Amino acid sequence: MAQVTMLEAIRQAMFEEMERDPAVVAVGEDIGVYGGAFKVTEGLLAKFGPERVMDAPIAETGIVGAACGMSFLGLRPVVEMQFIDFIACCFNQVTNFVAKSHYLWGAPVPMVIRGPSGGGVHGGPFHSANPEMYFVHTPGLKVVYPSTAYDAKGLLKSAIRDNNPVLFFEHKYLYRRIKEELPAEDYTVPIGKAIVRREGSDLTILTYAALTHTVLEAADELAKEGIEAEVVDLRTLLPLDRETILTSVKKTNRLLVVHEDTRTGGIAGEIAAIVCEEAFDDLDAPIARVTALDTPVPYSPPLEERFLPQRSDVVAAARKLAKY
Amino acid sequence: MSVNVIMPQMGESIFEGTVTKWLKKPGEKIERDEPLFEISTDKVDAEIPSPASGILQEIKVGEGQTVPIQTVVGVIAAEGTAVAAPAPATSAAPPAAPPKSTVGTPAAPAVPDAPQDEIPVQLPEKKLPPAPTPATGAPPQARTASAGQGNGAEKVRSSPLVRRLAKEHSIDVAQLSGTGAGGRVSKKDILGAIETGGAQGASAPRPSAAPGPAGVMPPPSGGTATASLESAVPRERMYFGHYEVQPMSVMRQKIAEHMVMSKRVSPHVYSVDEVDVTEIAKLRGKMKEKFEQTTGTKLSFMPFFVRAAIEGLRAFPTVNSSVDGTNIVLHKECNIGIAVALDWGLIVPVIKNAEEKNFLGIARGINDLAERARAKKLKPDEVQESTFCITNPGTFGGLFGLPVISQPNVAILGLGAIEKRPVVIDDAIAIRSMVYLTLSYDHRVVDGAVAHQFMGKIKHTLENWTESVL
Amino acid sequence: MNEVLIEGRNGVTAVGAEVPSNARAEGLTKDQQLNLYYFMKLNREVEAAMERLFKQNKIVGGLYASLGQEAISVGTASALSPGDWVAPMIRNIGALLTRGVPPRDIFTQHMARYTSPTKGKDGTSHFGDLKGRHIVSPISMLGDLIPVMAGVGIGARYLGQKIVTMTWIGDGGSSTGAFHEGLMFAAMHHAPMVLIVENNQWAYSTPVNRQTGVRDLADRAQGYGIEGVIVDGNDIREVYRVTKAAVDRARSGGGPVLIEAKTMRMRGHAQHDSADYVPKEMLAYWKERDPLPRYEKYLTESGLWDARKKAEIDARIERLVREDREFAENSPFPPPGLAEEGVYCDGCHTIEAEWKRDKGQLALAGGYPAVHQVQDYGEIRIKVAASAPAVTPAVAAAVTARAEDLELSEEMMAAVPNGKVPTAEETALRVPFGRGPKDKAFRDEQAAKTYSRGGSGKTYHQNKPSQPPSKLPPKVFTKPFTKPFTKPFNKPVHQQQGASFQKGPNQKPGNAPRKNFVKHPAGKPGRT
Repeated sequence: MAQVTMLEAIRQAMFEEMERDPAVVAVGEDIGVYGGAFKVTEGLLAKFGPERVMDAPIAETGIVGAACGMSFLGLRPVVEMQFIDFIACCFNQVTNFVAKSHYLWGAPVPMVIRGPSGGGVHGGPFHSANPEMYFVHTPGLKVVYPSTAYDAKGLLKSAIRDNNPVLFFEHKYLYRRIKEELPAEDYTVPIGKAIVRREGSDLTILTYAALTHTVLEAADELAKEGIEAEVVDLRTLLPLDRETILTSVKKTNRLLVVHEDTRTGGIAGEIAAIVCEEAFDDLDAPIARVTALDTPVPYSPPLEERFLPQRSDVVAAARKLAKY
Repeated sequence: MSVNVIMPQMGESIFEGTVTKWLKKPGEKIERDEPLFEISTDKVDAEIPSPASGILQEIKVGEGQTVPIQTVVGVIAAEGTAVAAPAPATSAAPPAAPPKSTVGTPAAPAVPDAPQDEIPVQLPEKKLPPAPTPATGAPPQARTASAGQGNGAEKVRSSPLVRRLAKEHSIDVAQLSGTGAGGRVSKKDILGAIETGGAQGASAPRPSAAPGPAGVMPPPSGGTATASLESAVPRERMYFGHYEVQPMSVMRQKIAEHMVMSKRVSPHVYSVDEVDVTEIAKLRGKMKEKFEQTTGTKLSFMPFFVRAAIEGLRAFPTVNSSVDGTNIVLHKECNIGIAVALDWGLIVPVIKNAEEKNFLGIARGINDLAERARAKKLKPDEVQESTFCITNPGTFGGLFGLPVISQPNVAILGLGAIEKRPVVIDDAIAIRSMVYLTLSYDHRVVDGAVAHQFMGKIKHTLENWTESVL
Repeated sequence: MNEVLIEGRNGVTAVGAEVPSNARAEGLTKDQQLNLYYFMKLNREVEAAMERLFKQNKIVGGLYASLGQEAISVGTASALSPGDWVAPMIRNIGALLTRGVPPRDIFTQHMARYTSPTKGKDGTSHFGDLKGRHIVSPISMLGDLIPVMAGVGIGARYLGQKIVTMTWIGDGGSSTGAFHEGLMFAAMHHAPMVLIVENNQWAYSTPVNRQTGVRDLADRAQGYGIEGVIVDGNDIREVYRVTKAAVDRARSGGGPVLIEAKTMRMRGHAQHDSADYVPKEMLAYWKERDPLPRYEKYLTESGLWDARKKAEIDARIERLVREDREFAENSPFPPPGLAEEGVYCDGCHTIEAEWKRDKGQLALAGGYPAVHQVQDYGEIRIKVAASAPAVTPAVAAAVTARAEDLELSEEMMAAVPNGKVPTAEETALRVPFGRGPKDKAFRDEQAAKTYSRGGSGKTYHQNKPSQPPSKLPPKVFTKPFTKPFTKPFNKPVHQQQGASFQKGPNQKPGNAPRKNFVKHPAGKPGRT
């Protein structure tokens, strides 16, 4: 099979799931005729028709609410947020209706909300968001954030088949930049499992999404200095794969968490607390983190570059940690 | 001035584009915002307007070529520029960097060739810490607790992992030397200790058996001494060639600690004086046998010096004191410590209340303590609570010594060798028994004037001895 | 289906359900009519019992009453079929009871017991039943049920189910963004949904005239291009009739309907609110229109019952309420460990949609055009409002001269409300700028022109009480009932739309361009 971009992998997942299960439908702004702002849903309308591929007005509350209603019937809607930033417009529906229905009155909501997120593309403060933590903070939801084409396809399939509402973040920087050969047969990637991308012994670097690739490059650079970093890609933020994280920390005894989300309230803090609770006696150094600044995402390239964690930041932090 | 035409970014996830058609040829005139070329990307095809007015000078990326975004695809020259000459971009030179001016910059550090001591070094004003209050004795430095580890008093920096491993393998973290940041004991150190079956929490050290073969470094020291015994160089550098490792005895460790600490705490100053002890020597020679017969104890030079010292201490009570923060504790008793050299080390037994004793009492006391010191029969309170010490390095040769103060005293008197030397008396040379006396004193409380006067008193007492020995 | 006249707002009639010609004008049997009373009375008694329980400190949290509004809850819910879906709000206990929810469920919910439908996880009327009674639980944020029920309707249509969804919202709740977005979504996707806007005059302490700019909330429907009807919310027969018409229309593919039921909230917002801000006269006015005595009077006068029958029903209600209340009071509280359970569905539910059509039918021929069908390009048409907005001096001056010479056609005269001669300002607005009043072509055009959108040919504001109807009075549902989505499953988009979409030039099927991507106008990347 040819090499496939992450965007194409997501489209393949949608195609295959909609073919496999007629209960899967798609709703979103401009996803039908236009094929989606990023062309993820291109071709879906032609294949499945307007009943299953619904163009919506600019009404995120309306869209998510309607998808929630469809879920009550047993359908499995896949909602596209044109930019994941706009999920803020339907925060109430997501956190109060979708997330709570099963807990409160036993009504599962098997829907997926997916959308392009993340920065590094000069999108400015309203097209570069990483809002995952608002939803990691909401019990009842699952939050997934793949970093490779293989994972994107497998995780989207798992998300669609999951009986719970899943927020599926797609890093737009990676959409067309990463390519991979995918297996021809149907496969899924389990939600709630992290993966070790690179084995190492001196320190563990936990990360996810676009920074996974940055961290792998940093690890190569560190290897030249004799520092072998173990790189773990979280893939799912909620539920967090504690087992993989703790196993890795117990192996290397030093932990660095790298994420593109803002520092305060980012998942690094949560992970640090978990590791301190469960593996304090395995720590040989304080837990370090490399994150974005505590600011909105700025627009001008030098500002955005400063905002985002760069490879040099990761290398410097890892080096410091290894020598502690 | 020429302007670069670049491949634009047509969408957030687009990072390359293909030039499909140039709408102008090189040499043609172009207006700003006029369509200049067409591109095709993953998402969209578009006509790109010109960024400037002028003449299309050069096409760098031809039709059908795909390039990353921001690539320069063409160059537009301002009107009037000749197209033929491949005018390099330097014609439109970037504005010159601001000229380096030395005005206003502070005087640069001197040329490296200049000798270091010629450069006036301005040290930043240091704010002196406030004088310590006499109240608390808590150590200012906080150290990570080695909770539950054997050593109790001192705390060593490590990590939770290290402490856990130490606990599991019954290793005393306090005995390990750390190679981590700031001297912390890190995972490497504890693992090294575990591997080499290293130091256990023992009270007595075991001397190593065979000399270590070259290249194998013994495990870190296993004594009870603490971080005050630091190495000035990395440990590895001491182990070269052939060597034998001898662990320190407890006494040696304690001496080592005390010496380091005393030098650290008290600013040592030394005063040397020369005393004519001919008369005392004569007196001793005359009375030696009788003294021994009558009293049953030997007559040495030491009691003379002790008595003289007491006179000095009475006259200058500051020398008979201790320092507690900003307080000077003036001792009323004169407990004189006499340093005794032993085969296995050094000990300082103390004659308590020496100012109440007469010559005989002091003599007896000295001999008795020395005897029992050699026989290891001293009681603990006999080696404590000295207020002034005397040591006698001269017995082993050499002219004089510069001893270390025995804390918490503020001075120690060192006796040199008693030798006959030619001296000048009334413009004539005479042969006299002379001895150098050295006073090491703590300049925190004892100033040079006091020290010298104190010495002068001792000298005067010795050179004008009136007391009867019996 | 026979068309019948139904009283609506502004004296205009509407299309309604089939009605037999006897006195039972609603199409209900005697038992069904007695049931209307039963459920209203049960509603009132259950709430009265809860008020007592509240005062006995047995209700956890707040208690909301629908006193005076029972006709709306019961009347609307009665118009539904068993397979339909409902999403009642806190003042629609009557709807829950009508759907068959026993009073004990309501008591235990309010008393936070383990035997409640949510096992104590949520309170008041926040419970649901997906498979059995098709009830969707509300959340406390207002308006959010509307997009959800729109989605249920749209999804059900996709599954081949011929159901209608119904939900309620108050005058206050109709201010939220969720109301707007949900209704718009429902309209754009032609959801089979009936929305009951219960205008009980008060949103907590805010009267309607401080909540919204329109007096009649049914006017809002216009903004979404859907039908809006006003009904007397305290007349259960009216409520039933209008709702039944709307439900039938929605079920047949007529799109969403908004019914504004006018009523009054006879108690405060909740038990803790004494509502001193409500004028006493207002309460007195509406007390006279209490739905329960009003319906009782009708039942008596039409001979549908007698005193004995009434007593029997009342006794039945009293016994049921008493038994269920006792059950609730004796129920245990949930075990604390329950708090940790149920966040995720990990196999506890098997999710299966109910297909009422052949899934094989879903395969569709490809080739959906990539260019939308737009039958008019946003052509400017100036609507004449019944009450013309204020004219700025500049505009007035510009057209005054011409307006003064205006010869008004009879048609135009007749179109004026109240038969009054229009002033210069009023008529001025009718003249498109640049066309003179003496222009014959213009006058002819005016006579022939209709101002309404693709339909029956009368202007919006038309209201001619003095003119005898030459035919059936125009329908309130002004959009032609062309049944879109009759056979939606096998035709491409541009052939599926109703007749209205056929209008306009060059929109013959088959002419649609077949490009696969949309080219942006030159140089403008657009929104990516």
